[in-house]
Amino acid sequence: MNSLTKASGNFFTQDGKGTSPLRLIRNGLLTGLCISLSLLTLLPLFSIVMLVVKNGWPLMSPALFTELPPPPGLEGGGFANAIIGTVIMVGIALLLAIPLGILAAIHITEYAPESFLSKSVRMVAKLLNGIPSIICGVFAFAAIVMTMHGFSALAGGVALSILILPTILLTSEQALLAVPGTYREASLGLGATSFQTILRVVLPDALPAIMTGVMLAVARAAGETAPVLFTALFSANWIHSIMEPTASLPVLIYNFAALPFDYQVKMAWSASLILVTVVTLTNVLAQIFFRPKHR
Amino acid sequence: MHTEPSRPHTLTNFTASLDHLRGSVLMMSSLTQRNLKNSIRGLMDRDDDWCNNSIADDEEIDLLEMQIDREGIDVMSRFQPVASDLREVISSIKIGANIERVADQAVNIARRARKINEHPEVPELHFLDELVKMAVSMFDDAVRSFAERNAHLAVELKARDKELDRLNRELTDKMIQRMQDDSANLPTYLNLIFVSRCLERIGDHAANMAEDVVFAVRAEDIRHLGK
Amino acid sequence: MSESPTSPPMLTDDFAPGEVNFMKVEDFNFFYGKKQALHGINLTIPSRKVTAFIGPSGCGKSTLLRNFNRMNELIPGTRHEGDITIHGTSIYDPSVEVIALRRRIGMVFQKSNPFPMSIYGNIVYPLRIAGERDRDVLDGAVERCLRSAALWEEVKDRLHESALSLSGGQMQRLCIARAIASRPEILLMDEPCSALDPIATAKVEELIIELRKDFTILIVTHNMHQASRVSDLTAFFYLGSLVEYDITQKIFTNPSSQQTEDYITGRFG
Repeated sequence: MNSLTKASGNFFTQDGKGTSPLRLIRNGLLTGLCISLSLLTLLPLFSIVMLVVKNGWPLMSPALFTELPPPPGLEGGGFANAIIGTVIMVGIALLLAIPLGILAAIHITEYAPESFLSKSVRMVAKLLNGIPSIICGVFAFAAIVMTMHGFSALAGGVALSILILPTILLTSEQALLAVPGTYREASLGLGATSFQTILRVVLPDALPAIMTGVMLAVARAAGETAPVLFTALFSANWIHSIMEPTASLPVLIYNFAALPFDYQVKMAWSASLILVTVVTLTNVLAQIFFRPKHR
Repeated sequence: MHTEPSRPHTLTNFTASLDHLRGSVLMMSSLTQRNLKNSIRGLMDRDDDWCNNSIADDEEIDLLEMQIDREGIDVMSRFQPVASDLREVISSIKIGANIERVADQAVNIARRARKINEHPEVPELHFLDELVKMAVSMFDDAVRSFAERNAHLAVELKARDKELDRLNRELTDKMIQRMQDDSANLPTYLNLIFVSRCLERIGDHAANMAEDVVFAVRAEDIRHLGK
Repeated sequence: MSESPTSPPMLTDDFAPGEVNFMKVEDFNFFYGKKQALHGINLTIPSRKVTAFIGPSGCGKSTLLRNFNRMNELIPGTRHEGDITIHGTSIYDPSVEVIALRRRIGMVFQKSNPFPMSIYGNIVYPLRIAGERDRDVLDGAVERCLRSAALWEEVKDRLHESALSLSGGQMQRLCIARAIASRPEILLMDEPCSALDPIATAKVEELIIELRKDFTILIVTHNMHQASRVSDLTAFFYLGSLVEYDITQKIFTNPSSQQTEDYITGRFG
């Protein structure tokens, strides 16, 4: 060891007690363990990305974004309709879930945090958060497909919105709670109404965190297969209205991966690559666009 | 309003500093009382030794006055006293100055006594007895009123000062008469007038000290009233 | 409990300008749920003067301050008895809008709390929420307030930078500028200097003395020497009651109450 552990060492070891070697070893071991486990968690992520890139890259071409899927057994074409379908359904889901989620979060944090309604909403949101995604699909099936006598992109969008609503609500709640109370106090002290305070001070400050929650929701919605499966069904053609069934990336991947044709399997990989890329890109763009401006 | 601070400060070195300042003033006043007694003794017993002691011991009193000023300023700068503490510090400094003047008068009396002792004794010396008694008791009472934080005692002193002034004037007139009647002892009569003046001054300073005590204890300024 | 005076005694000609009974607190009791925080407060505060509230922790001075602009109503479970009037009107009168009340009364808090916006945005906030849109009016207000807060020279070239990039003392002066933007009559300051270093504190104190010309200022402070430096009148509170209220000079040279004397000379506790 070094001079610090010698009994007659220096000013800091006058009482004869240096740092015991055992303590240092233990510290080193635990630090090493934390580092290696952290690296380990990155492993699955990197593996997936590597695999998807490796397998999906070969077939990558602009055609994928512009053409319809080929009939089974044939080559060529793309899955433009699936991309559009996913975008449309995720869009519908966001359109429904964002206003509901954020406004509900505002109510339960700003207006009536202790009311029975707020407590109930919180509990229900937490319960819904863990709901199996297929149940959302079943619900949308019963509520929309059966009442409207047809599968549709709308039903798919609704199913996805139920899926992501709890996420958006709960992360928005956390984002709003994280805004320092002193801002609200200052605003109210200046003679602002609660509404003005929320609109001008609280929401802008919470926005980056809310958007993070929304991005999480987008990622989930874009990738879930079960809710979309028997609400939007599938389609090999372009979509003409939201009341029609539509293709979507997850379902396309699901379908093509199971086919015995090598080409279609490769297309499934490419679709996976595109899905992963789009989700990541959306995330990054949102982080950049919604970063806190004055911190 | 309040004659005694109710309890010590939370900051013990604040209380200790104030107590030390008060102690210095009391020390200075007791040394001055001693010197005054010695000077009077030298005068009345016609003994130069007592006079010389008094003159020599004055230096210590001067040093104490400077120490009191230093300690007072120290307390004010370190502790920023307010209310009763502030009044106490300011009065202590002013009382220190007054005590120093009394000590100076004691020295003057000693010097005059030495001169008187060079000449034959005169019975008129004892005309001073009442003046001496009054001046000494006024100074003693002034010191006591400071020590006891007694404002009543202090207020009385102003009235007694008037009486002392009257006695001084009376004695001066008598001595002037004597000087005309008996010119052989003129120097002695003149010196007696000076001594009387010193005693009258001592009374004035005692009254000033009383005013400062009343200010410290009651926050009243009784100077220059009914002049 | 000693008798609480209802008006500032010994009013001399110094106090004549402005109103003597500008703000009145009458038999005021205040409760946090079951706990009574203020007992029978009677106080008359003149306008265009600085009145300081002093007292040990938990004596109720901040609680009373926050009642003037009804900020305590934001805390659930509080209630009051008695009345507070400003310029003859009770602040609890049903015809008084709390929002309007708060616009007429500015508040500065202990820990400065500028919004996470630009310096400009912070100062125009109270004007914008009142509906002001005119760019010239807003610009003028920003300059006026920053000059009044002795901050203009320091920040005039970076008005659109984040307010959070300022130093602690500057942030507090910004909060003062923001508080006076809508030209309130009254400024409430809750220990405005306790988080500041001595130089920043001195600047804020100088500012308070300057602002006295145009505003009635109430300041809560646990620093007695600050109260003696800055205020015209001082009120001493203890355990929710008003113990003594008088001209600052009298309180600090010869207070009437032994409790006050003990507190200001450091003999408490």
